[in-house]
Amino acid sequence: MSKDVSLMDTLWTKISAVLPKDEEQFPLPFGDIVESSVVEMLRRSRRQLYSDTTSASRMLTAKIILDFSWEKLNTGTWRHVDKEWRRVYSYGCLFKVAALCRGDPSAEDVLEALRTCDMGLLMGAAIMEDLLQVIVRILQGDVRKSTKEEDSEHPEVKRIKMECPHVPVIREEVAIPRVKRPSLESFNTNYLLPLKPLILEGTIEHWPALNQHPWSIEYLRSVAGCRTVPVEVGSRYTDEGWSQTLLTVNEFIDRYILNKDGVKGSGYLAQHQLFDQIPELKADIRPPDYCCLGEGDEEDITVNAWFGPGGTVSPLHQDPQQNFLAQVVGSKYIRLYSPEDTDKLYPHQSQLLHNTSQVDVENPDTERFPEFAKAPYLECVLQPGDVLFIPVQHWHYVRSLELSFSVSFWWS
Amino acid sequence: MRWFGFGFNAFGQIYGQDKLLEGECFENEQEVKVSSPTELTAQEDRSDCRLKTDCQIRASWSRRASLYLNGDSCVCLSGFVSNESCGSPVKESRGCKDAIISESYLILAFSDRLESWDLQKKETSPSWSMEIKTDPEISGTPLNLPLVPGGYIATKTPLYRSLSPHLRAKSLALSSEHAILLSASGTVYTWGLGSHGQLGHGGLTPEEEPRAVEALWGMPMSCVATGGWHSVCISDGGDLYVWGWNESGQLGLPSRGLRKAMQQQSSQQQEESPCTSTAEEGETHEEVFISIQAFPALLDITPSCEVSTVSCGCRHTAAVTTTGDLYTWGWGDYGQLGHQTLISSDEPQRVELFKEQQMRVVDVVCGAWNTFASVVKEEVAGP
Repeated sequence: MSKDVSLMDTLWTKISAVLPKDEEQFPLPFGDIVESSVVEMLRRSRRQLYSDTTSASRMLTAKIILDFSWEKLNTGTWRHVDKEWRRVYSYGCLFKVAALCRGDPSAEDVLEALRTCDMGLLMGAAIMEDLLQVIVRILQGDVRKSTKEEDSEHPEVKRIKMECPHVPVIREEVAIPRVKRPSLESFNTNYLLPLKPLILEGTIEHWPALNQHPWSIEYLRSVAGCRTVPVEVGSRYTDEGWSQTLLTVNEFIDRYILNKDGVKGSGYLAQHQLFDQIPELKADIRPPDYCCLGEGDEEDITVNAWFGPGGTVSPLHQDPQQNFLAQVVGSKYIRLYSPEDTDKLYPHQSQLLHNTSQVDVENPDTERFPEFAKAPYLECVLQPGDVLFIPVQHWHYVRSLELSFSVSFWWS
Repeated sequence: MRWFGFGFNAFGQIYGQDKLLEGECFENEQEVKVSSPTELTAQEDRSDCRLKTDCQIRASWSRRASLYLNGDSCVCLSGFVSNESCGSPVKESRGCKDAIISESYLILAFSDRLESWDLQKKETSPSWSMEIKTDPEISGTPLNLPLVPGGYIATKTPLYRSLSPHLRAKSLALSSEHAILLSASGTVYTWGLGSHGQLGHGGLTPEEEPRAVEALWGMPMSCVATGGWHSVCISDGGDLYVWGWNESGQLGLPSRGLRKAMQQQSSQQQEESPCTSTAEEGETHEEVFISIQAFPALLDITPSCEVSTVSCGCRHTAAVTTTGDLYTWGWGDYGQLGHQTLISSDEPQRVELFKEQQMRVVDVVCGAWNTFASVVKEEVAGP
């Protein structure tokens, strides 16, 4: 009992140690786009941080800031949301976290604080030298300490939710070629310049994700279990029932990978820049050397995580950049079509989905889409250690055959 | 006529302004979130606005403007304003015919010109102004802010936007993302961003130019209003149509997000373990939740009642019936629904206080997170 209390007491000590010492040293610089009434609220929160007031008052001011900036974040298209509003949102998260962790926070308060940091990292923009990232690490340490004893007693039940009886046999004539550790030159000449797909073997063996810290459900739980991530729910993004929700990694694993609570429907942690959010995982991977053949810098490479049970499907679609899809855990069936055959692939007309085909690749409606059967393709079963080069604008369809974790690198 | 306000009051824009020093705001929940209708009082000892004069209300997020139009017309501001101007009429507003307020500026309409005053800077001249032409061709257009002769005043610069005269605009409602226009013939046009279905054309794509809402074709409308991401209109016959985003129940249709949040709240309050997951499965699969309504839907507020006027805040809606009742629904975190709670609701509910005090609601105007209703004493029916 007293052990718990002393753990919680030091949490605020650790957090206040990374905050500015006083109000004067706490910057609140904002551009004109943030109205003075909102700046007043922010200043109020800053004042409350260093003065003696009630937790309820602090939470209320933070709530006002969060509610207002949330509305700005949802106004217009995401791309055009002014970065200032995302910073305001992050400040709101910071003040809320400070209010939650003050004094003697309960275990729920700490989890709520963690969730709030993640919301700031997901929707906000970096403030005060990425202070939310610093605080999230402190909070994670705190959560790990207090749950250590509980964990070790429950061995992980590795039940895979969906049975995947249909493992396709790859015909030689349509197999994507495989080359072990091609030289930069030969890759450039034979595949990148002519835009030809290739599976590169033996190029990520050195990744810690396949060596020192082999990625597994247990490892992911330990590194990121209490972190909040966006999850796609519903079988595929072209379906009516498709939606996105926010879950902790633990909840995602329990519900959609281990199917512990019997919820129907599939979930996929897809197209998320998880490695910006969780630096420990970033340290387990490396951008492929072949990206240097492109024009951009390493910072311009978009790295996404794709983590889900067997049966997740990405419908046939194309992307505006080159892609290296690295397979870390489990296997995926992938089919590729050339952009030259787009006319046989029936892309959606709408602006929103014009990069997505209407055809269900493994169960095509031959009446609605008669030309589809004539479109030539290449296919593969991507295994751990493989990296698939998907040339820019190449149509690709992906279905996981079992629990799978892939990392994609979009580059130009 | 008396005005009552409820909802967001952190800047004293509903009541209590006199307790706050300049630039201060309320900190405790009761004062920030006014969940029960509270009468607005004019601070007549600090102003010369006649208390008994009928006034109109305009509200933004942090301020409220009281518009006195009889005789010596003027605008008085409350909320996030400088100490001197609190309660006293805005001197630049003397003689104005109409006004609208946003978070950053106050637009005043005079008989010969429009002016925009920056609320964040103390300046002696308007930041923008425009002559109103008394062109006989368009003089038929009544001044009905944000509609002005030949066009309208937008929520961001450039402030003046022209409108085609063939639209015959009668009234216009704007949010930061979209616009809804009512023509003289009762046709509804929408344009702007549509990613939350707020344009009512059945999709999520934006429209650059005013486009008639075909689903309402043949039904003349009499009133239009916009929230942050939703639209409402009233037909000549008193029916209410809603469309757009329903994340907080602002359309009055079943909202999944709302039910989930309520379930989470109630499960947190249960002290006993274990909260089984049947709570989620229990939500029967028959119930259809609507998060985006891309076509207008008829909303039955209460059987056999006609709606006379409607107004929307960012995420809530308030409607007045011909029988003098006020119904509210949507986001309620700051008490803006007026039901003496801080609960959001996806079902229209009557604000009982007015009924209890035998007051007849005649008008409603919403700020971003609050609601203002004007009432008159209900005439007691004779024997």
